[in-house]
Amino acid sequence: MHHAYIDKFAYQDSPVHRLDSRVKFLVVLVFTAVVISLPRTSVSILFCFAVGPFAILVLGKVPLRFAFKHILLVSPFILVLALTFPFYDRTPVTVAFGPLVWDTTLGWMRCFTILGKFVVTVLALIALVSTTRFSDLLAGLQRLGVPSLLVIQLGFLYRYIFVLIDSAHHILRARAARAIGKPGFNTELKVAGGMLGSLFVRSLDTAEHINVAMHARGFDGNWRTINKLQIRSADYLFALVAAAFIFGLYFFVRPVLQ
Amino acid sequence: MSNAIEIQNFSYRYPDGTSALSDINLAVEHGLRVALIGPNGAGKSTLLLAMAGFIKGAGKVSIDGLEVNRKNLKEVRRRIGCCLENPDDQLFMPTLFDDIAFGPLNLGLSPEQVRGCVAEALATVGLAEMAEKAPHHLSAGQKRGAAVATILAMSPKIITLDEPDGSLDPRHRKNLVRLLAGLSQTLVIATCNMNLAAVVADRVVLMDSGMIIADGDVQKIMSDSKLMAEHGLEVPQKFSDSN
Amino acid sequence: MHMANELLSIPVAAGTLAIAAGGLGFICRKVREVLTGDKLPLMGILGAFVFAGQMVNFQLPAMPGTSGHMVGAVLLAIILGPHLGAIVISSVVIIQCLIFQDGGLLALGCNVINMALVPSYVGYFLYRTVTAGRFSPVRAYVGAMLASIIAIEAGAVLVPVQAALSGVLAVPFSTFLITMLGVHALVGLMEGLITVAVLAYLQQVRPDVVTDTLPGRVRLSRKSVLVTLLIFTVVIGAGLSLLASGMPDGLEWSYAERPDEPDFPPAVSNEDSAIAAVDEFQEKYSPMPDYSRRSSKLGEPAGEGMEAHVGWTSFAGVVGSAVTMVVIWLVAWLLRKKQARTA
Repeated sequence: MHHAYIDKFAYQDSPVHRLDSRVKFLVVLVFTAVVISLPRTSVSILFCFAVGPFAILVLGKVPLRFAFKHILLVSPFILVLALTFPFYDRTPVTVAFGPLVWDTTLGWMRCFTILGKFVVTVLALIALVSTTRFSDLLAGLQRLGVPSLLVIQLGFLYRYIFVLIDSAHHILRARAARAIGKPGFNTELKVAGGMLGSLFVRSLDTAEHINVAMHARGFDGNWRTINKLQIRSADYLFALVAAAFIFGLYFFVRPVLQ
Repeated sequence: MSNAIEIQNFSYRYPDGTSALSDINLAVEHGLRVALIGPNGAGKSTLLLAMAGFIKGAGKVSIDGLEVNRKNLKEVRRRIGCCLENPDDQLFMPTLFDDIAFGPLNLGLSPEQVRGCVAEALATVGLAEMAEKAPHHLSAGQKRGAAVATILAMSPKIITLDEPDGSLDPRHRKNLVRLLAGLSQTLVIATCNMNLAAVVADRVVLMDSGMIIADGDVQKIMSDSKLMAEHGLEVPQKFSDSN
Repeated sequence: MHMANELLSIPVAAGTLAIAAGGLGFICRKVREVLTGDKLPLMGILGAFVFAGQMVNFQLPAMPGTSGHMVGAVLLAIILGPHLGAIVISSVVIIQCLIFQDGGLLALGCNVINMALVPSYVGYFLYRTVTAGRFSPVRAYVGAMLASIIAIEAGAVLVPVQAALSGVLAVPFSTFLITMLGVHALVGLMEGLITVAVLAYLQQVRPDVVTDTLPGRVRLSRKSVLVTLLIFTVVIGAGLSLLASGMPDGLEWSYAERPDEPDFPPAVSNEDSAIAAVDEFQEKYSPMPDYSRRSSKLGEPAGEGMEAHVGWTSFAGVVGSAVTMVVIWLVAWLLRKKQARTA
């Protein structure tokens, strides 16, 4: 299933993969915040910011095709909203880009800015999660103060998404194999309800088995893990470079580009 | 010295009242490899669960001389490790390392000791390079090995395995046989695969309808084509040629 | 209805993140006191169930080619109770953000509030209120339907509110609101029907799972579905049209899109006094004041020299960035090639 491969790049090895998950997470958070607070009509500065996630993806050996395919997949909602801007904001503006000068509206400018910001911030998020193992990200989040119950919950969820998605595929294939003609809406609902119900019951059974597996290995209600995180000098260096990049662009390049 | 497993007059009913196990008597000496064979629904898995104290029935179960009861449960489970049928149930952590470290951590070992246990267990099953992988990135054969490693890391004296060769191709099955043959622990292997039982086991216990039908020498029981057929089983290749 | 980073301002994003984190932290602390270790895998698996369940789709009536799927918040809240349900659905939303990039990192607070916290609690308490007292199949049916529709609407309403507070909307607030309400009324209706269908199945197959909340049978008969659809159409139709007529700028949307009248004065949203006030507030209190549109050099008839200046610097910015990216890519490619040769 293609879902099983969505996180495969996180398990590669590269200098950016080896960076501490906490540092990467915080850098991406700050990066996103700064990109979001950029002016609403300036497209060109976004290209400069895009260099950051681009560099991480390239250094992390994540294929750019994968990243952009994924951005396309999650874009419909923002695409619809961005396309409303040209309808509502028709203030005419003249745009000059190098040798080219053309007339457009502020709405179109804002539309492209919002889409540009979307691409850049999603790119940054992809750069984070495809160069960081999810278990490390979770451990990092726990160290940053996320409650342990939520961390355990996320760990289980992440582990079993792929198992249950496979089950769902099997159920869907079974329905497709048996579908004859056009059932009424009521039947359609009942069939879907039954499928979900059986998936639910299967989930309960799996949970029961996991309980056995946990108790067989001495689980007594206390969740124990080994801390593998460690901030090294490479992490300090990365944080420094990232900060210089983000704030350098924001305070020195942005005013010039406007 | 006490037996590794000692079960006397053990019976168990499901919550809905149907009988699952009736009057089971079984003694397994240390270091033995026992194959628990029988058709689906014979009660093999239930018997394995009873050994590790996951179900309570009438009768007595002792593991390594220790009676299985609420008070002894923690110590019992330190001595007997049970490997479930589906490796996806056995591997529940985000990475293989965390999964294998789960048991040793619960035993109260120090982080250094835990790392040692994990490395050793992974080396035994030939997955030393895979420690930081997520279980959903492993192949079926690797998952099976990893599931065994989670048990090995706790160094139990006795290991029970439920259908350990399920969904394995012949090559991975061969690896599994090699792995099982190399283990020094007492093994109880529940299986529908007669060839696996014939190759690995020192002794065979045939179950059907919650009862022990036959118990003893591998060749004697498994080459008895009438007995085997009566319980929906087949004579393994190893013995069918000689007959 | 995943909220995106781009629809939020920094103060709103930070505020909602703080609220979501505080809420979740509080729930976790509360639950931790009473939770046994046995529930941990169950909660995790049910989160995965919601994911997988969203792949099980069904054809919608009267709209060929469209299909609906479960959202799951109300179902889990009814089965697990609101606290556990809220944690499970929150974890689903977080994984959607972190693994699948559905919804931005800064919008995570909004998404947890809109899609997990609000639907879980609203849904649970509505269901419990309607089914309080003696059990009857009709009550259970109505309770699950109402809980689903209102819980989902309650979450959906918050999206335009958060966007408007952020002052980023071009669409008039009321248009966005009505669109969200309309779309999610349908989502909620489907959620209600599928929730009832699943509950009915579980009640038959594993009654032990739903003993507390569904002590008797609930049925999804052809008649009940028809009646539901009828009531729904009338109520939503009347409600939405009332809402639309009650809001003066609610209809501008349709004008703005009229291709036959291209000269129609555009409804520029920042004339809106409320949004202008938000803008002003943000400029004052935001740590990084947003760029004010009114002083935009692009927006004003700039002199020749100014325009040229702006054009060439942005050109340089874009070209420079592109060149940098190509250089990074080339260097990485060369390094990798060298590595491959030495290895």
